[in-house]
Amino acid sequence: MIRNADLFTMATSGLNASNKLLATTSNNIANVNTEGYIRERTEFTARLGGGVDFGFTDRVLDTFAQNQLRRDTSAVGEFQAFNDRVESLDNVLASEANSISFSMTQFFSSLQTATDDPTNMPSRDQVIGQAQGLVSRINQLGDFMQVKEQETELQIQQIVETANGLVRQIGDLNEAIQVALGNTNVDTPAQLLNQRDQAIMELSELVSIEVRKSSNRDDGVVVNLTSGESLVLADGTFNVFAIGGEPDYTNRDLKLQTTYAPPKQNTTLNILEQKMGGALGGVYRYREQVLEPAQRDLGKLATVLADTVNEQNRQGMDLDLQLGTDLFKIADFRGINYPTNSNLELGVGARITQGASGEITSDDYRVTVLSTPSGTPASFDVEVMALTTDGRPVLDSNNNPIAEILTVTAEGGTYNQTIGGIELTFNNGADYAVDDAFLIQPTREAAAQLTMATTRAEDLAFAKPLRVSMDIANLGDAQISDTVISNSVVDLSFANNGASAFNGNMGLQNLAESPSSTFGAPVQVRFTSDDAYDVLDSDNNVITSVTNADDLNNLLARAKTDGVPAWPTEFASLDDYPGYDFSLQGNPVAGDQFSLEYNTNGINDNRNAVEMASMQQRDFVRLSSGQQANKATFNEAYASLVGQIGTAAASSKIDLEAAKVMQSQSSDWFESSSGVSLDEEAANLIQFQQSYAAAARILTSAQEMFNTILQVSR
Amino acid sequence: MRVTTNLMFDRNYRAINDSQGQLSDIQTQLASGKKLLRPSDDPVGASQVIRLTEELDKITQYNRNNDLVTNALELQETTLRSINDVANRARVLTVQAGNGILSDADKQAVGAEIEQLRNQVIDLMNTQNASGEYIFSGYQSASQAFEFNPGASENQIRFVGDDGTNLIQLSDSVSIQSTTSGKTLFEDVKARLNFDFTANTGITFDDYKIKNQGTFDAYHQSNFDPINDANNELSFTITAANQIEVANLGTGQVLDTLDFTPSEVVTYQGVEFRLQGGIGDSFGISLNRPEKTNLAETLHNMFVALNDTSLNPQEFSSVIDDTLIGIDNGLTKMARENSSVGARLNIAQSVRGSQLDSEIANEKARSSIQDVDYARASAEFAKQETALEAAFASFPRIANLSLFNFI
Repeated sequence: MIRNADLFTMATSGLNASNKLLATTSNNIANVNTEGYIRERTEFTARLGGGVDFGFTDRVLDTFAQNQLRRDTSAVGEFQAFNDRVESLDNVLASEANSISFSMTQFFSSLQTATDDPTNMPSRDQVIGQAQGLVSRINQLGDFMQVKEQETELQIQQIVETANGLVRQIGDLNEAIQVALGNTNVDTPAQLLNQRDQAIMELSELVSIEVRKSSNRDDGVVVNLTSGESLVLADGTFNVFAIGGEPDYTNRDLKLQTTYAPPKQNTTLNILEQKMGGALGGVYRYREQVLEPAQRDLGKLATVLADTVNEQNRQGMDLDLQLGTDLFKIADFRGINYPTNSNLELGVGARITQGASGEITSDDYRVTVLSTPSGTPASFDVEVMALTTDGRPVLDSNNNPIAEILTVTAEGGTYNQTIGGIELTFNNGADYAVDDAFLIQPTREAAAQLTMATTRAEDLAFAKPLRVSMDIANLGDAQISDTVISNSVVDLSFANNGASAFNGNMGLQNLAESPSSTFGAPVQVRFTSDDAYDVLDSDNNVITSVTNADDLNNLLARAKTDGVPAWPTEFASLDDYPGYDFSLQGNPVAGDQFSLEYNTNGINDNRNAVEMASMQQRDFVRLSSGQQANKATFNEAYASLVGQIGTAAASSKIDLEAAKVMQSQSSDWFESSSGVSLDEEAANLIQFQQSYAAAARILTSAQEMFNTILQVSR
Repeated sequence: MRVTTNLMFDRNYRAINDSQGQLSDIQTQLASGKKLLRPSDDPVGASQVIRLTEELDKITQYNRNNDLVTNALELQETTLRSINDVANRARVLTVQAGNGILSDADKQAVGAEIEQLRNQVIDLMNTQNASGEYIFSGYQSASQAFEFNPGASENQIRFVGDDGTNLIQLSDSVSIQSTTSGKTLFEDVKARLNFDFTANTGITFDDYKIKNQGTFDAYHQSNFDPINDANNELSFTITAANQIEVANLGTGQVLDTLDFTPSEVVTYQGVEFRLQGGIGDSFGISLNRPEKTNLAETLHNMFVALNDTSLNPQEFSSVIDDTLIGIDNGLTKMARENSSVGARLNIAQSVRGSQLDSEIANEKARSSIQDVDYARASAEFAKQETALEAAFASFPRIANLSLFNFI
C-alpha cells in the first residue's frame, strides 16, 4: 500500500537529486577549461523508506595516474631545464663566426705567411691582427659562459623562491582543508583539494617529490623530496630551501631549513643538488656537468695556447733585435677564503708558471695550511689538492687523490711552484693558521680575461737570437745542421738559477758578465781532430775539451757531460745554461772553427716563426689530470670541447623527448579519468533533464491521485 | 578509453606542434645546405668537421707557401743561370788572354770586358727579391751580401752576410730550404792549391810549374797539416850528381829520391822543376794553406793582372791558372746548388700534388658529414608537409563534432 505522502516525499527527493546532478554537470561544463579542475560526480543512495538520499559529490580521481603524472612532470622539468640551457651553448658553438678553431687556424696561417718573408710589415701586422681576433673570440666565448653562469645563479634563486612559495601554499592548504572538512560532512572541499593538487603539480615541475596521504584520515598530505627529506608535514608545518655557497659565493649550494617558531631550535640539512630532479636538479646538473667543465676546458685551452706562444716568442729575437717578450697576457688569480679560516683578510695569490702550460689541467685546487708559520720570512707546509668543480678530490690512475705537500715561503713577490703548472704567493709575514684553506680556480675565468700583452708587430720574435758561423778558412765540409734555443732568460744577477748566457744587450756573456770568474759564456767550438773539439769563450780561453765524440749533434750538451776539464760548476748549477746548442753535419778537419754570436741584424731569419707556426700540429693541451703524456693539439682540444657539449645536448634532447612521451602518456591517462568530456556532459544533461521531468511528473501524479480521492469523497 | 574534450585538443595541438618543428628543421637544412646545424645534431661529426676544416685551411696555407717558395727558388735558379753564363764567357776570355800572343793593349781590351763581367757577377751575387731583400745575405737581408772595396790590399770583394738559411713548411712533415747563403754558395769556393818557395841554397831555376794540377791537388789534400805548419814544408837536396832527395822538414822523414839531370825536367807530385845546382845545394817549398776565393774576386784578380804590365810571363800564367781553376770550382759549386734547387722545386711540385689529393679526400669527407642530401631532405620535407596538412585538415572536423550541436 503506497501512501500518498510518500509519493510527495519521493518526488521531492527525486527533484532535488536531479537538480543536484544537473548542478554537478553544469559545474563540469563550466570548468571545462579550468586548469587543475577535476571532474566531479554526484552519487546517491536509495533511502530506506523510499526516495533518494541527499547524495554526495566527489572528484573522480585516479591517484595512481596523478602520482605517475607528477613523476613524469618532474622528469620533463629536469630535462627541459637542462636541455634549454645546453642548447644555448650548443647554438653558440654551432656558429662559424664564434669558432675558436677558425680563429686559431687563421692565426697560424698568418704565421706561416709571415715565415715566407719575416721582414714584411704587412704580414707581421696580419699576425697581430689575427692574434687579436683569436683573443676576442676566446673572450667572447668566455664572457658568454660567465654570463650563463651568473644567469644560472639567478635562475636557481628564482626557482628556489617559487618552490618555497609553493611549499608554504601546500602547508596552508593542508590546514584549510582540515578546517573545511570539520565544517561540513556532506561534500568534499573540492576547490581546496584542486588548488592543493595544482600546487603540488607545480612543485613537482621544480623538484622531484613524493606525495603520501597523511595517516590521520584528515585528508592532509605529506610531501617529501624523492631523496627522503620532508618538505610539508601533515599538520601544516613545512621546511624551506635556503641558499648558501661555500667558499665560493658565486657557486650556490642548497640546504633545507626548518621553520619552527621559537623556542624550538631550527636546523639545516644539506641536499645533493644534482639528484634533486625537476627544474632545480636540471639547472644544477647543467651547471656541474656542462657549464663549469666547459668553462674550465676553454680556460685551459686559452691558457695553454697563450703560454706556449709566449714561451716560443720569448726564445726568439724580434724586429728590434731584442729578445722576444710575451705576446699574450694570462690573468693572475686569487685564492678564495673558506669561511672557517682564522682570518678572512688573509689571501693567497696565484698565477700560471711561465712555460709550465704542459701541466695545466681544468681542475680547481684547495690549498690547506698544515703547519704554523715560523722564521723570517715565514715558512710553513701547505697541501695543494686538485678538486673537481663540485669540490670532490680528483683521483689519479691508482685512485689516490692528486695532491702535493710543499714548504712555502710567505713573502711578497716570492712564488712557490706547485702541481698543475701553478705557483702560489703568500702575504708577507701574514698570520696563517693551521687548517686555513683557500680555493684556487686557475682556469675558470682565464678565457674571459685573456688579453694581448703587446700589439706592436715588431715584437713578434720570428728570428732566433743566435747564429752560428762557419769560419771561411775551414778545410772540412762540416755544415751547421741545427741550432737550438732552449732558454733566453736574461738575469745577470743569477738569482733564480734560470739565467741563460744572453746578456740582454744584444750579445752573449763575456767574462765579466758570466756567472763564472774564469770563463765567459761558451761561444766558440774549435776542432782538434775530426772527432774532438775545444769549447772556448769570447777571450779564446778553452773551457773544456771533448774527445771521441761519436756524432756532432748538440756539441755543447756533450761538452757539459763529457768535457775535460769538467764543465764549470757555476755553469752547471744553473738550470739551463747557456740555453743554446748547435749540431753539425759533414766532416770537420782539425783547425775548423765555428763561432756563435748574437743574431744582430738577422731580421730575415724565420727559424723561430717556423717553430711557432708548427705549434699548430704539435700536442700541448693536457687531456687528463692523471696522465701527463696524454696531450692533444689546440684544435683537437677545441673539437673535443665542442664534441662534449654536442654530446650532452644530443643526449639531453633524447632524454627530453622520452620524458615528454612519458608525460603525455600519463597525462592522457590522468585526463581520461579526471578530465571533462563535453559529449558525456551533454548526454548527462539530457538524462538528468528527463529524470527531473519524471520526478516532477510523480508530483503531478500524486496530486491527481489526491484529487481523485477528494472527488470520490465529495 | 574515455576521450575527454581537453585530451582531444591537447593531442591535436601536440601533433601539429611536432610536425611544425620537424618541418622547420628540414627547411633550415635545405636553406643552409647543411644537415649539421648544431654540434648536437652529430657530436662526433661536429668535432670531425672542425678537424677536417683545419686540415683544409692548412692545405690552403701550404699551397700559398708552396707558391712563395717556388718563386724564391726560381729567382735563385735564374740568378745562378745568369752567373753561369757570365762565368763561361769569362773563362773563354781567360783562355784567350793566356795564349801568349796578346799585346799589352790587347790584354787591356780583354781586361775591360773582364771588368764588366766582374761587375755583373757582383750585381748578381747581390740580387734582391721583389721586397728588396738581398737573397744571398743570409739572415741580414737588409744589407747587401758582398761589398766591393777596390782599395783593400786583399779580399776586395768581401762577404758581409751570415750563414743563415730559412726553411719553409710545405706540409705537416715536409719543409724545404728556401734560401741559400752567399757564404756557402759563392764564398766557400776553393782557390787553386799552390806552393811557395821557402829557402834556397845555390839552386838556380830555369823554370818551374804545376804541370799536373790534379796530381798536386790530391797530394796537397792528403798531406796538408792544418795544425803544424812545419809538416807542410818539403826540402829538396841534391845528394849526388844525378839525385835529389825529398824530405819533410817537420818530421825529417825522407819521402822520395828523384833522378836529376841539370836543366832537365824533374817531376814531383805534379810539379815540374828545371834547375841547376851542385851537390849539397837545396831548396824548400811549403804547401800553401788552402784559400777560398769567390768568383768576383777571381775575376777581379784577373782584371788586375791584365792591366799590370809589370808581371813576367811566369807570374801571368800563374794568374791565368788561378783564374781558370777558380772559375771551374765556382761553376762546380753553382752546378751543385742548381741541382739542389731543382730537386727542391721537384719536392715542392710533388708535395703540391699529394696535397691536392688529400684536399679532395678531406673535402669529400667533410661534405659527407655536414652537407645535406637535397634529394633526401626534399622528400622528407614533402612527407612532413603532407603530415602537417593532414593534421590541419582533420583537426577542425574533429573539433566541430559535439553532441551539443545535435540537441
